[in-house]
Amino acid sequence: MLEINCSGETLRLLPDKAVFWPRRKTLIIADLHLGKPAAFRKSGIGVPENTTTDDLARLDGLLEQNGGERLVILGDFFHATAGLQPEMLETVETWRGNRSSLEILLVLGNHDKHAGHPPSSWNIEIAENPRIDAPFLFCHEPQESSEQYVLSGHIHPAISLSEKFGGGIRAPCFCFGQRCAILPAFGSFTGMRNITPRKGDRIFAIGSGQVIALTY
Amino acid sequence: MLRWFTNRGWTPFDFQHETWSAYLAGQSGLIHAPTGMGKTFAVSIPPLLEWLNEFPEESTWPKSVPMRLLWITPLRALANDTAQSILAPITDLEMPWTVQLRTGDTSASVRAKQRERFPSVLVTTPESLSLLLSYSGTREKMESLRCVVVDEWHDLLGTKRGVQTELCLARLRNWFPNLRTWGLSATLGNLEQARDVLMGSAAPKAKLVSGDLKKRIEVETMIPADLEKFPWAGHLGLNLLPEVLKYLERARTTLLFTNTRSQTEIWFRALLEAKPEWVNDIALHHGSIDRAVREEAEERLRAGTIRCVVCTASLDLGVDFSPVEQVIQIGAPKGVARMLQRAGRSGHQPGAVSRIVCAPAHALELVEFSAVREAIGAGDLESRLPLERPLDVLVQHLVTVALGSGFRETEMIAEVRASYAYRDLTDEEWRWCIDFVTRGGQALKVYPQFSRVKNDGGDFTVPDPLIGRLHRMSVGTITSDSAVTVRVVRGARLGSIEESFIGRLKPGDKFSFAGHALELVRVRDMTAYVRRTKKLSGVVPQWMGGRMPLSSQLAKGVRKKLSEARRGIYEGLEMRAVKSVLEIQNSWSRIPEPDELLIERLQMRDGVHHFIFPFAGRLVHEGLAALVAYRVSKTTPASIAVTLNDYGFALLSAATISLSDDEWKKIFAQENLLDDLLACLNSAELARRQFREIARIAGLVFQGYPGSGKTTRQLQSSSGLFFDVFTKYDPENLLLNQARREVLERQLEVSRLGNTLKDVSEMKIVLCETERLTPLAFPLWASFVQANVTSEKWSERVKRMALQLEMAASKEGQVSTK
Repeated sequence: MLEINCSGETLRLLPDKAVFWPRRKTLIIADLHLGKPAAFRKSGIGVPENTTTDDLARLDGLLEQNGGERLVILGDFFHATAGLQPEMLETVETWRGNRSSLEILLVLGNHDKHAGHPPSSWNIEIAENPRIDAPFLFCHEPQESSEQYVLSGHIHPAISLSEKFGGGIRAPCFCFGQRCAILPAFGSFTGMRNITPRKGDRIFAIGSGQVIALTY
Repeated sequence: MLRWFTNRGWTPFDFQHETWSAYLAGQSGLIHAPTGMGKTFAVSIPPLLEWLNEFPEESTWPKSVPMRLLWITPLRALANDTAQSILAPITDLEMPWTVQLRTGDTSASVRAKQRERFPSVLVTTPESLSLLLSYSGTREKMESLRCVVVDEWHDLLGTKRGVQTELCLARLRNWFPNLRTWGLSATLGNLEQARDVLMGSAAPKAKLVSGDLKKRIEVETMIPADLEKFPWAGHLGLNLLPEVLKYLERARTTLLFTNTRSQTEIWFRALLEAKPEWVNDIALHHGSIDRAVREEAEERLRAGTIRCVVCTASLDLGVDFSPVEQVIQIGAPKGVARMLQRAGRSGHQPGAVSRIVCAPAHALELVEFSAVREAIGAGDLESRLPLERPLDVLVQHLVTVALGSGFRETEMIAEVRASYAYRDLTDEEWRWCIDFVTRGGQALKVYPQFSRVKNDGGDFTVPDPLIGRLHRMSVGTITSDSAVTVRVVRGARLGSIEESFIGRLKPGDKFSFAGHALELVRVRDMTAYVRRTKKLSGVVPQWMGGRMPLSSQLAKGVRKKLSEARRGIYEGLEMRAVKSVLEIQNSWSRIPEPDELLIERLQMRDGVHHFIFPFAGRLVHEGLAALVAYRVSKTTPASIAVTLNDYGFALLSAATISLSDDEWKKIFAQENLLDDLLACLNSAELARRQFREIARIAGLVFQGYPGSGKTTRQLQSSSGLFFDVFTKYDPENLLLNQARREVLERQLEVSRLGNTLKDVSEMKIVLCETERLTPLAFPLWASFVQANVTSEKWSERVKRMALQLEMAASKEGQVSTK
């Protein structure tokens, strides 16, 4: 865990690929991609199911450890229509039932637009467009805003490091730019894409249960 | 028929007679002979003879002949030539037979027509045959099939395509018990086994026919005029360009073989720069270049209207290019059989002399050429070992068969076990494969909604048309990194490059490909659009794989030559040429005797480096180096980079590693070999890399198919992700097991590795402190880092790398990462 200052607010970067905002008691995650394994299985590609229960258990742990009362999901909650299978939906519904007091906001991502919204009984507030929560703007895709600092996902960022002797390391990371931050993908069955940091970007690599600041 | 043969002025060879009568007696068999000895006619004629015996009167000939002969060839490029050869007597005798191709290049409409009605002879590839089995009704249309021929069997043997062929043959034999199988192979060290693999459980009755007529082979080595300038390392051999040009000027048509596709591009560029007037006289040929361009080069070779074709293994196989006068081999041959095969590309007629000229890329390769010449003289050829029950191929085949005619378990398991590769398939493995295709994984694991193959009361079928379509798209066991098509903007397709290479380029970057100077414009939908530029410059793509290891036969030969050199014996042109370099090695360090393990320790500014020389070939060294680095890192916390070649390997590290002779002895101990190997495999990520191929064959990972649209886009994923998910949630998954086994057996040759360790345990360790890089060490120093082993903490390493980044950034004024 690592605390940083961003636009005057303290943000806690968690090695479980999430951000906690203490003042608003809000846990922020991106790219959950629920139902991705089911979508694969539907097309005849075998992927074990356990990732959903695992991801929800991780969420529980993070909310409890940090005293979270609100969850913000920066898009790609569902992966695809084919993934909306009863087992997965039941698992999430049970989880939601046990945490009915948790306030959840979903800013829609590109996958959500095809996969459809979560059932209304889950009591998740849907934001079709980026949502302001000053000093931040919650978005799915990284973008610039003249007013607020942007918190986004979509990219599934990873950083590659190398040295002369001893080889390279590739790790998921947080990327905090001048006006926009990109969060790592929270879901266990999601890929990664390498990013090339720009000057002034603050990169935080995640691995072996730690968050490590790379460049300032 | 015999008259047709003699009318052409040909007399059948003994082995052709032998094959003809064996065939007519209903036998199967394997024919081995050097290329250019008439193997094709040995097996293409008897099915015609048999038919003529059935229909002796021309007036009784039917209008058309249903399928009688199925011809499998590993190379699409060969299919056309083969079809022409088969067709020649048919045309001349005006027989009502039809001959057609069916390969990946055959158009969809022709393929659909063929499925309606097969020709009398179908020439196809293993993948296309497998695809045929995925359609229902194939069996009925093949009812009159008498014989299946597998061409270039030595090339398929020991590969997953070979296993795929075995499974297809098992299916055909199950359908038609009297079917004859004939294989054609170049000479190998293990011919009887090659036959047994091809025949499966039908092996005992099959013949082995030798067409091993003495073929004269002349081997010549280019010795550079100025030996002082001969480099100690490098793989290009461009320093021999002037000599090579002289040889090219002397002969009418030359095949210039290199060992990798990149070298082909580099040599083509160098030849053009030296001789711009040859621009229409030379061509380039390798597996990634567009088919039309390759075919043009092949056509000109056949016609003898081209001076030189720069090529790789893509022209190793039996296409008949009679006008080729000489063959030049750039860089080490790596194997005796391969050298013979390449030499045989010239003088491709019975009785003609084959000439091969060797161009060593660096000094030590002279030793290798000297050893290869001796091995050719002694007829000491390598074996190609068959693969043992790769489950990914079986999984793919089961879906193929379920999709085609469907199967029932008891019959199918017997059929699969009739093949050589799966003769020892256990009941548990079979159970797991069935579970994998019907449930997605083991019954106890959670894989809801999964359905690929349906078990409908014992009938296994694929009811979902989408799954069928996806499966057909991914059939094929040839695996490569996902390939990006290279196309000129609003122009021709040039070929394909691995995605990883294009991924490193930015629009505007220049590179060479297929002999063209190109600039990248944009990448879209798995296509790289390029524009031609004037000057050949910029980077040359590197293709994955394709690096052949030194065979153990040749490794032994090299050690013997070195040992002679140590005793002052320099026999032959090559050894005399390399004498001065070997003498430097001996005075700066030592030339190891066969019973010595040489370890050179060199303190340099950036750390202490060790160069270790077991001379066991790069595959063994890959495993050995990982093992040794792992064990060394247990004694001293360090990050170690590993480089290797066919002669030895190097451990490069910034940390100070200092071990005594006794400690080195322990590092090379045979005890705990498997445990330690598995431990370092995980850290070296080798199994993860091997899993890429397995995931693709087993149908877990889809490549981006141009035009396949959204359905597959949402299913794209990396094999690495699957590897992680399986490791965490389904560690008993047999495909993971297979990845580890394949790494151990194929990549690291664990049995050869064990033998090497045993040899080393009996060797004397000779530790030499050197002051500078020796001729043996220098190539290792100069080569790319192959693997990394670390015993440091993840966070420590990340912090150190971050610090290096910051230092680099403060120097350049900006942050840069890989």
